[in-house]
Amino acid sequence: MAQTQTLTSFIHEIDSLVSDKLQVVSYKWLSRNYMISSDEAKRLLQEFVEKHDGGLEVVYALSGWLKSSHPSYHVKLVPAPKLAEAQQEFDGNCSVQVYSVQASIPKDPAMLWNAEFIQAEEFFKQPFSVDNCVRDNRFCGISSSFVRQNADGSTVVSAALPTKSAISMGPTKNNIVHQLPKNIAHDSIPNVVLKSQDAMKDVKSESNGTGSTGVHNHINKPDEDKEKVLPLPKGKRKLQDDKSSSVTGGSLASLWGRASAKPKPCSLPAENNNTVSNPTVATEGIQTRACEAGEDDSGDDHVNVALKRSSNRRRVVFDFSDEDEDAVNLASPEPNKQSSQDSQQDDKKLSEKATLSFDKQIQSKSRVKEETAGDQKANQPWREDLSVISKCTSTGKSSSEKLQSHAPEISVNKDSQNNTAPGSPKRKRVMKTRIDERGREVTEVVWEGEEIEAKKADKVTTKKADNNVPTNALSSAPATKKSANTISNPAGKGGNKKAGNSKDPKQGNILSFFKRV
Amino acid sequence: MLELRLVQGSLLKKVLESIRELVNDANFDCSSTGFSLQAMDSSHVALVALLLRSEGFEHYRCDRNMSMGINLNNMSKMLRCAGNDDIVTIKADDGSDTVTFMFESPTQDKISDFEMKLMDIDSEHLGIPEAEYHAIVRMPSAEFARICKDLSSIGDTVVISVTKEGVKFSTKGDIGTANIVCRQNTSVDKPEEATVVEMNEPVSLTFALRYMNSFTKATPLSNTVTISLSNELPVVVEYKIAEMGYVRFYLAPKIEEDEEETKPQA
Repeated sequence: MAQTQTLTSFIHEIDSLVSDKLQVVSYKWLSRNYMISSDEAKRLLQEFVEKHDGGLEVVYALSGWLKSSHPSYHVKLVPAPKLAEAQQEFDGNCSVQVYSVQASIPKDPAMLWNAEFIQAEEFFKQPFSVDNCVRDNRFCGISSSFVRQNADGSTVVSAALPTKSAISMGPTKNNIVHQLPKNIAHDSIPNVVLKSQDAMKDVKSESNGTGSTGVHNHINKPDEDKEKVLPLPKGKRKLQDDKSSSVTGGSLASLWGRASAKPKPCSLPAENNNTVSNPTVATEGIQTRACEAGEDDSGDDHVNVALKRSSNRRRVVFDFSDEDEDAVNLASPEPNKQSSQDSQQDDKKLSEKATLSFDKQIQSKSRVKEETAGDQKANQPWREDLSVISKCTSTGKSSSEKLQSHAPEISVNKDSQNNTAPGSPKRKRVMKTRIDERGREVTEVVWEGEEIEAKKADKVTTKKADNNVPTNALSSAPATKKSANTISNPAGKGGNKKAGNSKDPKQGNILSFFKRV
Repeated sequence: MLELRLVQGSLLKKVLESIRELVNDANFDCSSTGFSLQAMDSSHVALVALLLRSEGFEHYRCDRNMSMGINLNNMSKMLRCAGNDDIVTIKADDGSDTVTFMFESPTQDKISDFEMKLMDIDSEHLGIPEAEYHAIVRMPSAEFARICKDLSSIGDTVVISVTKEGVKFSTKGDIGTANIVCRQNTSVDKPEEATVVEMNEPVSLTFALRYMNSFTKATPLSNTVTISLSNELPVVVEYKIAEMGYVRFYLAPKIEEDEEETKPQA
C-alpha cells in the first residue's frame, strides 16, 4: 500500500503532520508507519526538508568519529542552526541525515522520540504470533536474523491510545496517521456512538482495521473481543475503565500508580464525541476554518479556542470565565447576531427556573434579563445554554464546572454563533500570554477578582485544556467540558460528586500513608 | 482445593454489601488462617481490609494459598440468591478460574449451586503498620451511621475532633453548619450501646463524608463501630464481625484548609 503512494503524497502528509498535528516526525516513525525502509524514510525527510523552506525545525543525526583524543564513534542529534558547529566536532566526514522534522524544537528532548516510542511499544504489545516490523526489524539498515526484539512488558498508560492511532494508516488524506486519538474518530465516524466508551471501542477496532497493512489485520480480533482479555487488550480495557472515570470505576490494578494520569484520559473519549458532532473538521482547509470560527463564536463561555492559521505559528486564545452568559471572545471575529422572536418568552421561563437555583445564578440571570430587555440580542443557542444551566442548578448541587460543561456542548452542536456582553463590573478580564511547550503562543483570557470557587474551576479547566492544546487546539477544549458532561449526566448527582471528589486537591491519598508491599 | 462452609450465610451477604460500594473488583486471599481481602477504592483515598478467620467457619479447608479475583458486584448478585438462613459453602479447585457458591436451605431440601467466573486482577498489597492511635472512639454503629447520613445532607466533609469531653462531628455547607457531640457514656444497660472515648492526645481530622457514608454500609455487621484517629494517619473505622474477624476501612484525611475550624476545643 505504501509503495503505491507517490512521493508527493508523502510529502503532503508529513507536512500536515508537522504543521497541523504538531507531531515530531522522525525517520523511524515514518518508516514503521508507512512500512518503508528506514533509508527510504530518511530520504523522504531529506526531500521534505529541501522542498519545505521555513516554518519548521529540523533535527539532524550526525554520526562519525569524534576528533577528541580518544576517538570514539559518536551519534549526535543537533538542531539545524547548530549543524555546522556540530560537524566541526567530528573527525573528517560524518554522515548527516535528517532525524526528525517538527514545528518547533521541544523543550523536553524526550518529546523527540515520544511518538516513535509509543509506536514501537504498540508493536511490541501485539500478540506474539504477529510478526510486525519491529519484531523482525525489517526496516533497519542493520539486522541479524538471530536477534529477536522484545519489550520489557511494562505498559505506558498514556501511550496506549496514541499508539493505536499511530498504527492506523489511511488510504485517504483524512486518515493520515495522527499522534492523538481525537483524529482516530475521523476514521470511525460512522461507527462512533455518542456514548464515549462505545466510541472508544469502535475507534479501536476501526483504527486497526484501517491500518490494514496486512500484518495488523491479525490483531483485529483480539482487540474487538473485549471479553476474552489477552495481555494486549486487557491493558487497553483497563485504560478504558479508567477513562470512564469514577462512574463505572476501573479495575483496581489498572488504577494503581497512575492516579495522576486521570485528567487527560478523561478528556479523550469526549474528543471523539466532539469530532462526531463536527465531522466536517476532518475535511481540512476551508471547512475546518469555518468550524473553528463556529466554535470560536459560539460563546462557549470559558474556553474559547481561536486558531489563527498564520503560517505555522498558531495563536490559541482561551477564554476562561466562570459564567456562561457573560463570555465574550476577544479573539474571535465579529459574530453574527441572530435575533430570535421568542427570547422574551424564554427569558420568562428562565427566570422561573432560576428561582430554584442559587444566588449566583440568580444574579447572572437578572443580568441576562436586563441585557435582553435592552437590546434583544438573545439568540437561540444562548438561550439553550441558559436553560441547561438552570436545569442543572435546579437539580441541586452542581459545581460550576458542571455548569460550564453544558454550554460548550450545545454551542458546539448547534455550531451557531452567539454573543453576549460582559456584565459584571466586579471582575476584570486579563489576557495572559505564554508559549506552551510546543512552541505555540497561547493566550488565555481569564477573569480576575472572581470568587474562589469559580477560580478553582477555572484552574481545573485550564489544566485540562493544556493537556489537550498540544494535540488539537481546535476542538479539544470544548470537548473536555463535554467529557465531564457525558460522565456526570447519566450518573446524576452521585456521579458528579464522585468526579468532583477525585479532583479535590485537599483529599489525601491512602498511598501516602501505607507503603506497597 | 478450597472449601469454606459458613452456617451463617447471611454474614457473607452483609460483608459483600458493606464493601462493594467502595471497591469494584478485588482479590480474595485464602490461606489456612482465613479468608481475607484488601483493596483500595478507585481514587486511592480509602482502603478496605476484611478478615474472616478460619475458626469462624464450620468447615474450613484451604490446601494452599489462593487468590481469587472477584467482581464484588457479581459476587453480591449471586449471594443475594441465597436465603437469609441458608448455609453458604464457597468452593474452588486449585488452578480453576471459577468459584462455586453453594446454598443449602436450613431444612436441607433445597440446594443451589452458583458458579462464578473469576477475574485476573493484579493488585498489590499495602503494608499497614500497627500504630498507636491518639484517640479511639467506640460507639453504636447505628449512631455513627446516622451522624454521617445527617451531616452529609449539610456538607461534604466532616471534621472529627476528639477531646476529653467526647467526640465532635462537625460540618459546614452552603446552608449552614452542624455540630454533633457525643459524650462518653458507659452507664448503659447494654454494653453495645456505650460510647467510649479513649484519648491520649486531642485529635482533629477532616474527612470526606462520601466515604464515611459508604463505610456505614457495614453497620449491619456489628452493633458497635470503633473509630481510631491519629493526626498523621488515616482514620480506621472498624466493624467487628462476631467471633470471626473484622471489616476495617481506612480513609486518608483531607488536608486541612482552615486551622480555626478544625482545632479542637481543648
